[in-house]
Amino acid sequence: MIEYPRASKNRPPNIRIIGLGGAGSRVLERLIHEHLEGVGFVAMNTDEQDLSASRAPSKVQLGTQGTGAGGDPDAGYDAADESASIIRESLEGSDLIFLCAGLGGGTGSGGAPLISNIARQCGAVVVALVSLPFGFEGKRRQQQADTALKQIGQQAQLVICFENDKMRDLVEPTAPAHEAFALTDGILCQAIRSLVSIVTGRGLLQVGLDELATVLHRKDARCLFGHGESDSESRAVDALERALRSPLMNLGQMFAEARDVIVHVAAGPEITVPEVSMLMEQVQRHVGEHVRLHLGVSADARMGRRLSVTIISATGSDPAEPIRKPERKAERKIPVAAATRQDEEFEGEPEPELFRELSEPEALEAAQAAKKEKVEQMQFEPVNRGRFEKSEPTIVDGQDLDIPTFLRKGLRLK
Amino acid sequence: MAKDEIVVGVEIGTSKVCVVVGEIKSDRTIKVIGVGEAASRGVRKGEIVDFDICGKCIREAVVEAEEKSDVLIKNIYLGVTGAHMTSFNSRGEHLLPDERDEISNEDVEAVQEKARDISVSSQNTFLHTILQHYYVDSQEGVLNPVGMYGRKLEADFHIIHGVASRIKNTIRCVKDLELEVEDIVFNPFAAAQVVLDQQQKNIGALMIDMGGGTTGYMAYLDGAVEHSGVLGLGGDHITNDLSLGLRIPMAKAEKLKIEHGCVTLGNSVPGDVISLRDEHGFAGKEIEREALNTIIHMRVRETLELLKKRLVDENVLDMLGAGIVLTGGSSLMRGVKHLAEEVFGLPVQLTRAQNLSGNISAFENPKYSTAIGLVKYAQATFELEHKGFLGSIFGWLISGRK
Repeated sequence: MIEYPRASKNRPPNIRIIGLGGAGSRVLERLIHEHLEGVGFVAMNTDEQDLSASRAPSKVQLGTQGTGAGGDPDAGYDAADESASIIRESLEGSDLIFLCAGLGGGTGSGGAPLISNIARQCGAVVVALVSLPFGFEGKRRQQQADTALKQIGQQAQLVICFENDKMRDLVEPTAPAHEAFALTDGILCQAIRSLVSIVTGRGLLQVGLDELATVLHRKDARCLFGHGESDSESRAVDALERALRSPLMNLGQMFAEARDVIVHVAAGPEITVPEVSMLMEQVQRHVGEHVRLHLGVSADARMGRRLSVTIISATGSDPAEPIRKPERKAERKIPVAAATRQDEEFEGEPEPELFRELSEPEALEAAQAAKKEKVEQMQFEPVNRGRFEKSEPTIVDGQDLDIPTFLRKGLRLK
Repeated sequence: MAKDEIVVGVEIGTSKVCVVVGEIKSDRTIKVIGVGEAASRGVRKGEIVDFDICGKCIREAVVEAEEKSDVLIKNIYLGVTGAHMTSFNSRGEHLLPDERDEISNEDVEAVQEKARDISVSSQNTFLHTILQHYYVDSQEGVLNPVGMYGRKLEADFHIIHGVASRIKNTIRCVKDLELEVEDIVFNPFAAAQVVLDQQQKNIGALMIDMGGGTTGYMAYLDGAVEHSGVLGLGGDHITNDLSLGLRIPMAKAEKLKIEHGCVTLGNSVPGDVISLRDEHGFAGKEIEREALNTIIHMRVRETLELLKKRLVDENVLDMLGAGIVLTGGSSLMRGVKHLAEEVFGLPVQLTRAQNLSGNISAFENPKYSTAIGLVKYAQATFELEHKGFLGSIFGWLISGRK
C-alpha cells in the first residue's frame, strides 16, 4: 500500500491545490472562481506577469527572472530548483496536494516532477493532474510531455492524466480554439472538485484516500474518469449515464480491464437506498465480474435535488504511446524498474496481485500487446445508441454493443 | 396420426410478427395454408417493450393469417427469444430400485428430473430439456432405453433456460388477444427444425438465425443439440449504425440497407454514390457506397466473431462436419455467406424451410424459417405423444412454466 500520513480524526485533511504554469493557473483561477471550499490554493509560475494577475491567496514565483520558461523544460526545472525553499515553505503542513499542470511546455513539464518531489518530502500525498498537449501542438511538445509524465509518475503517488486530444471531439469543429482549451480545463476542474469531495465529504459510506490510492496506483496508468449530475426524476440513472459518457471513460471499453473501480455518489440528504442500489446494479452491468467496486456515498445538503456520480478507475497500460514511438522499446524498462524501486519504499504490504504483474518482464510484454490492441479500439465520440437509447444494453466483455461497431473501432467515415 | 392436424405458429420478431397456419399431413409433410405478417412495433431485441402497440401488430398478423387460410385461430405455438436465454449441458444419473432391473418410462423421467436438478438463477425457468444421449450401465449410444435391462441409467441433456418473468410477459401479450398458448418454443430451436435436415444434424451443423433484433444459434453434434444461445444483436443494429453513421432517419436507413446494403468491402469504386431522393421532411443526400458497406461489414463481422468466440469456448466449432447454415431476414444481406465463410473458416450455406408443400412463395424466404419451424416443432411433439413416451428426440418440459 502507499504510505501516507493519516490525518487525525479530529481535523479535516489539509488540502492544497497547486496551479503550475500557464495551464495549471487557468485551472486554478477557475476553481477559485467557483469557490471550491476547504482547500488552499497555491499558484506557481515562472511568468511574473501571469502570477501577479492570479487571485490565489498564496503565490510562488519560480526563478528570479520572471520571464517564463519559454517552452523549455530545463529552464522550468532550473527555475523551480532555484525557488525550492519557497515552494517547500508554501506546502508545509499539507496532507494532500493536487498538482495541476499542463505538460508539454516549460514550466509544467520541467517544474512538476521537482515540485512533486518537494511536496512528497513535506509528507503529503501528491496527486498530479496533468493534461497532455493537443496533437496539433506539435511533436516536440508531445515528447516533452511524455518525458515529464514519466518523471512525475516516479514522484507523485497518483497521476491522473488527461489527453487533450480525447476531449477535442467534444468540441464542435467550428468552435474557437479557446473554447477547446476551456473545455479541457473544465474537465480537469471537475475531476479535482469530485476528488476533493470524495476525500473530504462526510460520507455515509466513505472512500478513503487509501482506497483511492489502491485504485489508481498502476504504473503507466491511464485514468478513467467520469462525472455526471442530474436532478431529474430518474436522476440516479441519468447521472450514471452522463458519467459513463465522459470523454475519459472511453465509452466504457477500458472498464472491462479495470480491476478496481471507485463509484462515488453524492446527493442531498434525501438520497435513498434503492436509488443507490439501482445505480450499482447498472454499474455492475458495465464492469467485468472480477472488478472490485469501491462504493462511496455522501449526503450533502448543498446538493439539493441534484445527485452526482463520479467514477474513477485506472487501467495499467498506456494506450497512446506505442504508435508514436516504437523506438522506445529499450526505454520502456524504466517504468518497471521504477515500480520495483517504489515498492521497496512502501512500508505496508504491497498489494500482491497488483505488483507481481508489474515486476515480471513477461507482464510487460503482455501489457504492450494489450496496448496495441487498445490503440485500435480508441475512439472518442460521445456515446450514441440511437434507437436503442432506451432499451437494455447488450453488453459483452464490458463493451456496449448497441453503440455502432464502426464508432467503437474508431473508424472515421468521410 | 389419424387425421390432418392444423397448427399455428406465431413468431413475434423485432421487425415483423409472423403467423403461419400449417397443416400436418399424415405423410409427415407440412403444408402451409396461410401466412399472416405485420410489421412489428414495440419490440426491441426480440422482446416486447410496448404491450399495446405490439398487441395490435399481432392482432393484425393473426387476422391476415385467418383470412388467407380460412381457419379460426385459437391455439398457437409461440416462439420466444431474447438475450436473457442461455443454455448448458447437464448429465442426469438414475439408479434403478433394487427390485427391478428393466428400465421403464418412469426411470426415463427420473433421469431427466435429475439432470434438471441444477441450480440456475432463481428468476430463471427451464424452457427446453433436450435429450442428447442415453447411457445404460455406461454403455453408449442407446437410443431408447425403455425395456432394456440395466442398473444405472444416465442421460445427457441440453437445457435451455431464461428469465421467467420475461417469458411470461410475452405469453401475457398473446393471451390478452384471447389466443391460447399451446406451447412456447425457443426460436432458434424452432428454426433449426426446418433449416437443418437429419443428416446435417448427425454429422454436425450450426444454424445461425440472423434476425432483426437478435441472432440465435443452435449447434448439433451427433444428431443432438450441443449448444444454443442468443446474441442481442441483429439487423436492427445494422440499421441503427447506418442511421447514426450516415446521419439519415431510421426508415431511410432500413430501406437503404435492404436495397443497397452489402457486407463485402472493396467492391465499389471510389466516388460510387447512392442518391437518396428528397422527400418532404428529408433533404436528399448522397451516400458513399463504400461507407455504407463498411458500416454494415463492421457490424456483421463483429456479430459473427462474437458468435465464433462463444462456439470456440464451447469446443463446438471443430466438430461441424456439415458446416454452417444461415437463415433469418438478415441473412438475405448480400455477401453474408462469404463473410461467414471467412470468419468461421467453414462451408456456409443459405437456407430456407424445407420439406414443405403449399404456399411456396411465402416460405421460400428465410424470414419465415422460425414461424414454420414452430409448426414443425408441433409436429414433432405430436409424433412423440403418438409414440407414447416422452423424451425421445424432443424431451420437453412440463413444469415451471406459464
